[in-house]
Amino acid sequence: MMRFFLRRLAGLAPVALGVATLTFALIHLVPGDPVIAMLGENAAPVDIAAMRHQLGLDRPLPAQYVSYLGGLLRGDLGSSISFHEPVTALIAARFPATLELAAAGLTVAVLIAFPLGFIAGARPGSAADFGAMAFAILGISVPHLYLGPLLMIVFSLRLGWLPLTGRGGLAHLVLPALTMGTAMAGILARMLRQSLAGVRDADFMRAARAKGLGEFHALAAHGLRNALTPVVSLMGLQAGALLTGSIVTEIIFSWPGIGRLMIEAIAARDYPLAQGCVLVFALTYVVVNLLTDIAYSLIDPRVRLG
Amino acid sequence: MTASKTRWQTGQAAGGALSLLALLAALTMPGCRAVPVQAPANYLRVDIDTSPLSLDPRYGTDAVSSRINELIFDSLARIDARGAIVGELAESLERPSPTELVFHLRRGVRFSDGRPLTARDVKYTFDSMLDPAALSPKGGDMAALARVEAPDDFTIKFITTRPYAPALQWALHGVVPYATPPPGRNQPAPPGSGPFRLRRLVRDEWVILDRNPYHRAPPAAVGGIAFKVVPDPTVCALELIKGAAQFAQNNLPPDLVAYLRGRRGLRVVQAAGSTYQYMEFNFRDPILADLRVRQAIAMAIDRDALVASIMRGTARVATGMLAPENWAYEANVVRYPYDPQAARRLLDAAGYPMRAGGRRFALVYTTTQGEERRLLAQAFAAMLAEVGIELRIRTYEWPTFYSDIQRGNFDVTSMAWIGINDPHHYYMVFDSAMTPPKGLNRSGYSNPRMDRLLEQADATLDPVRRKAIYAEVQKLAAHDLPYLSLWWQDNVAVMSREVAGFRPFPNGSLRSFASISLAQGGLLRLPPEAPEAALR
Repeated sequence: MMRFFLRRLAGLAPVALGVATLTFALIHLVPGDPVIAMLGENAAPVDIAAMRHQLGLDRPLPAQYVSYLGGLLRGDLGSSISFHEPVTALIAARFPATLELAAAGLTVAVLIAFPLGFIAGARPGSAADFGAMAFAILGISVPHLYLGPLLMIVFSLRLGWLPLTGRGGLAHLVLPALTMGTAMAGILARMLRQSLAGVRDADFMRAARAKGLGEFHALAAHGLRNALTPVVSLMGLQAGALLTGSIVTEIIFSWPGIGRLMIEAIAARDYPLAQGCVLVFALTYVVVNLLTDIAYSLIDPRVRLG
Repeated sequence: MTASKTRWQTGQAAGGALSLLALLAALTMPGCRAVPVQAPANYLRVDIDTSPLSLDPRYGTDAVSSRINELIFDSLARIDARGAIVGELAESLERPSPTELVFHLRRGVRFSDGRPLTARDVKYTFDSMLDPAALSPKGGDMAALARVEAPDDFTIKFITTRPYAPALQWALHGVVPYATPPPGRNQPAPPGSGPFRLRRLVRDEWVILDRNPYHRAPPAAVGGIAFKVVPDPTVCALELIKGAAQFAQNNLPPDLVAYLRGRRGLRVVQAAGSTYQYMEFNFRDPILADLRVRQAIAMAIDRDALVASIMRGTARVATGMLAPENWAYEANVVRYPYDPQAARRLLDAAGYPMRAGGRRFALVYTTTQGEERRLLAQAFAAMLAEVGIELRIRTYEWPTFYSDIQRGNFDVTSMAWIGINDPHHYYMVFDSAMTPPKGLNRSGYSNPRMDRLLEQADATLDPVRRKAIYAEVQKLAAHDLPYLSLWWQDNVAVMSREVAGFRPFPNGSLRSFASISLAQGGLLRLPPEAPEAALR
């Protein structure tokens, strides 16, 4: 497993290079000017030229690209044009908040999805299956933009149980995590239900029942494990999507995460900051998928990493 | 394999996955990080929609930075609640020659760290904005400022390259202590001599201001201001209803303001504002270069209806760029009342008869993606369709939109000017020499008479004569229609009834926070502020 792990870690380098190149190209191709955004629209041409020079934006794009890559190799993502601060410091200050939100969202999703999917998968076509899947569809269908304020009105404004916005104690995390996790819970529950329904008639399940195991125990002990592989695979993909999908939730709940930072950076054409945020998102996505692969081998010993 | 062993393995696998989750969650849980920021008691809690970009007055140009910076930093002069320029650090002003402004500073002023404020600090502030290496966005406006001198500790002298009437506007820039470096991570805000000082800045979360101990505060005034960043307007409204926020100004759309009016515990203060909303025409387009077409568009748009519907009555129909509160405002200009019949006649006369399908010609309307902007575009399209003009709406995110506008890549657009204090702004937008990238004349409008008037106004130091020139400028602009004036947006503040002593400013300034108080039921009333003498 160690060899696999190291090989995948080494694979991060070309991914980082690809993402850095793509982001650099895209953000420089779209219209907009960080210097105008910074100096204001009535800036004197001489000041605009001076700032372009100072930021190195008057150099040819290939030269800027080489400088950017050189900085990356040294772990230097540059300095934010808008905030006058190192990009690494800005991202480091916000990344824990996004990770916290994504982890909490994932936890909520798993806690809702597993019982729901199991109940539905254990008795396909039953009223429990119908009810659980209706709930799952509802979770998938309601957009964050609507669910977030709805939860706020009920749990904060009406009941007064939880704070409305901001990052703080555990209480601050509940509503954003529910908003983030509900859609993912629906997706995971549906996948688990399908997967469980698929293994119910497998040979090993018949063997388990023949040994005298009840339906519930056979499904929990043998079926669930075999049904988990596609669910974990989906979880890996969804966990990455949770990170990027946190942007809307961060805006609604005034959560000081990297998603909001990235939106601000793109709007201001703050090239170094936008590139840094996209790079961090991409690398996180890759790491989450690496963790997913490791989780496969834990769940199913037939899966060998190497 | 026994059933119990299988159960154990399944449990182990599921446990492993959950442990991984728990570890991830635990690593990032709130307990693992710094104590959350809280607004201290007796601090006014204010919702803002974005973090300030810079709390150094030499660098912050965005609206939120400007609003907060004027609470931390004093300037030589400031705009008062009537829109007049009055002395702040300067107690008097002299003009010994057409190219010199001499400010005499008040004595006994201290920065929030205790250092006395002298002319050396003022000179340094302006020198550092003019230094090209410092990359201050404020330097571009001061091209006519030759140098700043400090002949003694309490005298500051601006020397201009030519007689330059708008020079007094430079006195509105906040003053920082001598040798303050450009902003950086370790110095989010230098000390100022204003009523507040920065206690804590947590980007995207909070800006907390304490009282400046060296600035006299009225009795019972709040202990400080806690600005909380809440980007979503609906959530901002919920915070006001819940009482989590006590004040928000100009960051709620009109429909939410209408919803909040009359809510128990809240009151809405709506006051005349100077933010000017306009429609801009591209003169490079042969259709729009015809005055009759622009006049027809002006008469086809029912601005009263738009103010009543889209703006929900939070604006006044405008006659020009300067609001009536501005000292140079001219009311006697040509106006274009809603008259679709007259608009059709003008279009016929211009050689654009109605064709089959009720269409004469098509124009592209470029705008941004905000909900209000899109709604406005649809309303314009519907009104212009009534007279046979097809308006094709194109929406872009702001930087792309702005880049297109700068390059003249548009037919018709609509934007707003915020914070117009001095009529010199007409020069920036209507002088034919001011096409981008040099200035803001994006429509390519050119009228030699307008150029002459604008250049003459900038060189006229006598305010009475200058006002007369700007009266002509406003009449000419209303006739030529490079802009169709839509409305002046009101300043709308929604606040808790506990808040007492708030005074609205036409430019949206929050300077009255210096004397604001919190009282149960809003019973506390402060005496009215005595008007101050304007600097001339």
